Amino acid sequence: MDATKAFHHYLNKFVEISDHDFKTMILPFLTIRKFAKKELITRVGERENWINFIGKGLIRKFYLKGEEEINTQISMEGHIIHSQESFHSRTASEYSIETIEPSIVVSSTFDQLEAMFAQSQQMEHMGRMIITHTMVIKDRWQMLLVKLSPRERFIHFVTRNPEMLQRVPQKFLASYLNIKPETFSRFKHLIKGVKSRES
Amino acid sequence: MKYSASHISVEMGQSALRYFQGFMPEFSFTDLQALLQYCQVRKFPRKAKLVEEGEVDDYLNIVLSGLVRKYVRSNNKDQTLQLATEGHVVHSELSFLTRQPSLAILETLEPTQLLSLRFDKMEEALEHFPQGERMGRLMLTAMYIKKDERRYARASKTVRELFLDYVAHHPHMLQRVPQKYLASYLNIKPETFSRLKHLGRKSQKINGSSKRS
Repeated sequence: MDATKAFHHYLNKFVEISDHDFKTMILPFLTIRKFAKKELITRVGERENWINFIGKGLIRKFYLKGEEEINTQISMEGHIIHSQESFHSRTASEYSIETIEPSIVVSSTFDQLEAMFAQSQQMEHMGRMIITHTMVIKDRWQMLLVKLSPRERFIHFVTRNPEMLQRVPQKFLASYLNIKPETFSRFKHLIKGVKSRES
Repeated sequence: MKYSASHISVEMGQSALRYFQGFMPEFSFTDLQALLQYCQVRKFPRKAKLVEEGEVDDYLNIVLSGLVRKYVRSNNKDQTLQLATEGHVVHSELSFLTRQPSLAILETLEPTQLLSLRFDKMEEALEHFPQGERMGRLMLTAMYIKKDERRYARASKTVRELFLDYVAHHPHMLQRVPQKYLASYLNIKPETFSRLKHLGRKSQKINGSSKRS
């Protein structure tokens, strides 16, 4: 599926949008951007100008705590990634965003996005549903970080995202799950049990 | 106890208006009046539970007066997630938005008045209030930004910086909120909190240049 088609498919989860409407009301506000592996999409200290839907690839978001990179999001095809606080508040980004794999993203600038939503009530509705959705996902994740133990977090994550374990370097996952790298390695024996229970 | 939103005082109306204009500058007094038809004022005594763990939260609330604490129980310990005062939005948003049982608990720390919008009324308002969708989107975005800022501050600052920052921006909270809740909100051990409080006083006197580690 090409990237814009995948994006149309994604939007349809929130609001039914005809091919015609997608072509006339959404496509004109989109830019396709391509990045190599390990390429910075957003730099800390710069204002985030883009909201990105990942058509293909794998991308992470992180901030620096001293020398250490703390990953707060790792997303693949079918997900939105951007430095949202910077994007929405038009201030400098606290985060950097970098590709892990070569990636293709479907992007809009802040002005393009606002113009897109302003076209109709239906577009505003779509905008509200998307922001609700992203907020729910983020809140759920935060809640799990608070409520679950590292071991529970690990199991929760790998059962739902088995593919990530293959594609994402372990150190990024450990930081994302807020688990020490040594502990993460130790937990890997749990995966076997998880898989056999699933099958 | 529930009061009709028409009983809202001028002062509270102004405070609500300021809140909406904060993320939607074109929001007018007429808009507020239209919106209030869908809202209700709810009044609670001190230490009342607005939402228990496991209940579905039906209300989106703006605090008109008083103080609400949001927290989760994790491993027999409470972790405070939010301390909402006048002009703040407070609800168990995950439960409200997904219509699933709440993990968070909402409790008043002072007698509290809330301007509340029930979920079904919100749906009604979104249908009939022409700017509703846009307003909903901007409101969520504003909440999202605030939450993100707080998370980032928490993750990137030292305990000491967190404390000093918080006290500088919320001087009244030290008077209003029991210390254990503030400590839990800032994710600081109660002992450390006391020590920092003492330090804060000293550094104020010498113009914030105290450098003890």
